[in-house]
Amino acid sequence: MSDYKLLNTRAPRVDAVDKATGRAVYTDDLKRSGMLYAALLHSPLAHARILNIDTSRAQKLPGVKAVVTHHEAGIEPYGVSPARYDETIFCHDRVRYVGDEIAAVAAVDLDTALQAVSLIKVDFEELPLVLDGLTAMDEGQPQLHEMYEKNICAEVNWHFGDIEQGRKEADLIRTDRLTSKMQDAAFLEPQSVLAEVDSHGNLTMWSSTQAPHYVQRTLAMALKIPLHKVRVIKPAVGGGFGPKASCSTGELATCLLAMKTGKPVKLTFDREQVFLHSRARHQFFHTMTTGIKKDGTLSFLEHQCILDGGAYASFGIATVYYAGSLLGGPYRLKNMKYDGRRVVTNKPACGAQRGHGAVIARALFEVQLDRLAEELGMDPIELRLRNVMEAGETTCNELFVSSFGMREALEAVRDSATWRQKRSQAGRIRRNGKGIGAACGFFVSGAGYPIYRSQTYHCTVITKVDDVGGGVTVMSGAADIGQGSDTVLAMITAEELGLSLDDVKITSGDTALSVDLGAYSSRTTLMTGHACREAAQDVKRQILAAVGGRLGVPPETLDLRDGLVVSLAGDIDFSALREEYLKEHKGFRDLPSGPQLTFREASRIAFLELGSIVGTGKYKPPKLGGSFKGATVGTSPAFGCSAQIAEVNIDLETGEVTVDRITGAHDCGFAINMTQVEGQMQGSMMMGMGEALMEQVQYDQKGRIVNANLAEYKIPTSLDMPHLEAIVVESNEPHGPYGAKEVGEGAIMPVIPSILNAIYDATGVRIEELPITPERIIAALHAAKNALLDSK
Amino acid sequence: MILPQFDVLVPETVNEACAMLAEHAEHGVRVLAGGTDLLVNLRRPIITQHVPRCDGCRTHPEGAVSSTIDCTMWESEPLMASGGSLRTLLRDQEKTSPEFLVSLHKLKELKNIRRSDDGGLRIGALTTLAEIQRSPEIRQDYTALAEGTDNLGSPLVRNRGTLGGNIVNARPAADAAVPTIGLGAMLTLHGKSGTRSVPAEGFPTAPGKTIIEPDELLTEIVYPLSPTYSGSAYYKLANRKALEISTVGVAVWVILEKPGGPVADVRVALGAVGPTPILAKSVPAVLIGKVPDKAAIAEAAEAAAGDCRPIDDHRGSAWYRVQMVEVLTGRLLKIAVERAGTTT
Ligand SMILES: Cc1cc2nc3c(=O)[nH]c(=O)nc-3n(C[C@H](O)[C@H](O)[C@H](O)COP(=O)(O)OP(=O)(O)OC[C@H]3O[C@@H](n4cnc5c(N)ncnc54)[C@H](O)[C@@H]3O)c2cc1C
Repeated sequence: MSDYKLLNTRAPRVDAVDKATGRAVYTDDLKRSGMLYAALLHSPLAHARILNIDTSRAQKLPGVKAVVTHHEAGIEPYGVSPARYDETIFCHDRVRYVGDEIAAVAAVDLDTALQAVSLIKVDFEELPLVLDGLTAMDEGQPQLHEMYEKNICAEVNWHFGDIEQGRKEADLIRTDRLTSKMQDAAFLEPQSVLAEVDSHGNLTMWSSTQAPHYVQRTLAMALKIPLHKVRVIKPAVGGGFGPKASCSTGELATCLLAMKTGKPVKLTFDREQVFLHSRARHQFFHTMTTGIKKDGTLSFLEHQCILDGGAYASFGIATVYYAGSLLGGPYRLKNMKYDGRRVVTNKPACGAQRGHGAVIARALFEVQLDRLAEELGMDPIELRLRNVMEAGETTCNELFVSSFGMREALEAVRDSATWRQKRSQAGRIRRNGKGIGAACGFFVSGAGYPIYRSQTYHCTVITKVDDVGGGVTVMSGAADIGQGSDTVLAMITAEELGLSLDDVKITSGDTALSVDLGAYSSRTTLMTGHACREAAQDVKRQILAAVGGRLGVPPETLDLRDGLVVSLAGDIDFSALREEYLKEHKGFRDLPSGPQLTFREASRIAFLELGSIVGTGKYKPPKLGGSFKGATVGTSPAFGCSAQIAEVNIDLETGEVTVDRITGAHDCGFAINMTQVEGQMQGSMMMGMGEALMEQVQYDQKGRIVNANLAEYKIPTSLDMPHLEAIVVESNEPHGPYGAKEVGEGAIMPVIPSILNAIYDATGVRIEELPITPERIIAALHAAKNALLDSK
Repeated sequence: MILPQFDVLVPETVNEACAMLAEHAEHGVRVLAGGTDLLVNLRRPIITQHVPRCDGCRTHPEGAVSSTIDCTMWESEPLMASGGSLRTLLRDQEKTSPEFLVSLHKLKELKNIRRSDDGGLRIGALTTLAEIQRSPEIRQDYTALAEGTDNLGSPLVRNRGTLGGNIVNARPAADAAVPTIGLGAMLTLHGKSGTRSVPAEGFPTAPGKTIIEPDELLTEIVYPLSPTYSGSAYYKLANRKALEISTVGVAVWVILEKPGGPVADVRVALGAVGPTPILAKSVPAVLIGKVPDKAAIAEAAEAAAGDCRPIDDHRGSAWYRVQMVEVLTGRLLKIAVERAGTTT
């Protein structure tokens, strides 16, 4: 048990009641007087030259206030990674996917805006399509962008240690493949934007975003206005999972329309537009060759990956690096080679999604470990335990793990799921439809570097004491997108100041408040948590100094607990302070009367001494990582790790999969809020399960999505969900506030491979293409049967 | 997408409804029951819309408003020709949107479940899928129909969606229509000039198309008597456990001469393996008169697989579907025979 009052408890989320009662305000709930509605014209073709855009009829439609195309927006490129600015606000010469934005309209209502969009006439000349990521690099394929020769948008070639030496040492080597499909993050709230320009030219945009700071930068750059004239506010957000981390054309177009019309303008995506805009998980084609010694020690990993990234770079440069770098852990692996290429194709652009870049790579590697264990006749968990890293070790690609509960997590799931009984003989596969499989995972706890090159603090927090005394307001740019960061900030502040959660007000997700890089790379608890603690401690120091001064006692002898000022050096006479406070509040009820000085009195007295009391905190990771090209991606002040066991039941005649149970353990360093940690683990299990078994964005031959809605894009329903067990492992991370590190993304890592390994245990067949549909299982069983017949 | 504009007409009687349908047939009029199919279709997405490639759907305004839920069940082709403006297509689509909806919600007489004179069951077309799912009588005597509703959509969809709507929307995968065909039901169609009764299996003609006349309503679905030694079953094969369009749906109905004894009659209906739900025509010849043992059932299952003509689509390949028809028919026959033997 910890000494904390609030931290490490199951305190209810600060936004729970508002969200459950519908009181929470999302962007689409916002209304401004005189507000206009925007609509976008999307390309119906996946690849075509634009010959002419005629907006004249749209302009003339009554109720239309502005029609904008590249003529108004300009054609200066922007994007996520400075080295790959490959997007323009609107297409001007070419469209590159079905959904690429060509124009936008603002009108008095949505009907009119949509009608106006339908009056825009675009003449296209169709171009040949590139739809297959595997062949996109081939000779003779049409090129999507001048800057991407052979359609290669990014390439990574890494070699750590010595692969040849590893090969020599290995007793057993095998090569395996795994392919996935493009995903949709399937968040509940479609993107929504409201933009407004005031009479001084200040642009304010409310948006359903994960990263107000990055979006602010992109708006300023692409719309050519100074950064300080742009303010991005994030109201309540219904999930992001990555795709909302970059600035969208929807955001840019809406701001542009607000600037043109001088009126507030709103745009809310239809679910179909969510799919078209995408920026979700790439399609991965992985090939891995792993070598192992007889005793189970890993000797090398040689890894190739092609990522189909869709039409633009988006976050994809980081993705191709992450796909390689995060295999550096959680096992001791001295020799690793990685060749990754991200290609562009005529499909919606892919970006970051929970477990950025690393999920499918992890899935294949964990499958390989199982297959190697089988060939060695070793229990797959035993094999993993022989290789896990311990705290204080550094990976071959120079990632330092300062805390690491990997062994503990793996042992916890093994014991809780009674693995030994269920998987009786090492390496023996049951093939009777019931199966059990295990896997591990490894993930960053906050990206070590911002997406643009800068020495910037990754976050700052300002905590201001109410001038009237009694409570505090925390001001932060951090983005609570449903993951619960506001609750974490409130808990930390309340803990430090000895307050109740109700006396801490959180204002966040606003670029006017502070810098915060946003909700991505599982960074907020560690990074903003540090800054928040520092700001609270700053406040505390000031209050105690003022009060100590008035009482004539050293501030070090005072502390703030349970809403009171406590003296660590025996009783003190504070009657003068109380008298002063009471005098100020004649006629008030509910005044302090107990035997101790309250925070309410102390904070007011401190104000009377000092004026407004403001505490500040900041955080920036130390210099991290190696000096090789791309060494920054994958670095982090800390690393989370996790283990999971999946139990499945397969109908061997129809291929239907029922996941009966998932047992997961995650090392989050220290659980600031137990319930939230478990919630992230459970959410990860659900998302990973969907990705393993059903999710895939499907295209026709013309590059159109055939399932751009949540009826046809399948995610698990409550009836599909198995029993989930979430075991929290706490390794006390030295670089995290109170020992805390990530859980938001790391917990998804072992889900897919544990299911893949369980399905193998159940059926004796390996599936090399995700999602694992019933049909793929039946096809694999047939192929196995035929192979057996052939061999006889 | 937002809904197109239309007027809603609210008849008080079936005859009035038919008169309204006849009057507005020229301008585009649609019947509105639970709306879980119709309203979804009217809100077509902007860009990735598809219409079935079958004849008729291209030219027939009704067909053009095909389901976003399962129109791609049948080989599909986008509405949009290459090049040109996407938005002109939206206008084309608006033309096909109905000007009037005739809402049936006041026709209480179509919302009931009762015994017919010969001991069969008559279900009013407006009976909701949830009401069917909850009916102990249906679960006892027409188990396949009850099971057809069990995994249909979600509780919300079942609370609004009607049996009539499931049959008239004529989707190849319709989960209540397939057992309705399997159980040998007759459909009562009421039009301006009278009433006719047609077998359920002949009703749908193509995805979204039926033999219903523009002025006709489906008023009642009449299931024949469920004999003493009879049993039925339905199975919906899909990739998740709710909110799914079946990859394959199979309904079987078996009547035995005596418990364990020879098969007196059998019907097998198949969903999602053709442009409409279909009856597996060769099964009765294989099974009638035989003791339904393992071998006979296996033969019948193989015959059912031979009767279907599925296509490849994004829910599953023809190869897989044919096999699943065989697997599921075999399993369901076994279950239905067991149920037939234990009927009291
Ligand atoms: C999320 C979701 C999930 C779904 N899942 C499934 C599923 O798993 N399985 C399945 O089979 N279906 C499913 N559906 C489709 C639909 O819910 C069902 O087919 C339902 O039975 C339709 O009934 P309704 O009363 O809502 O029909 P409506 O939408 O009101 O009508 C459907 C069609 O039938 C016509 N019509 C309706 N009643 C009559 C009548 N009495 N006379 C003449 N014409 C009539 C209408 O004009 C319209 O063309 C789903 C729908 C949704 C939205």
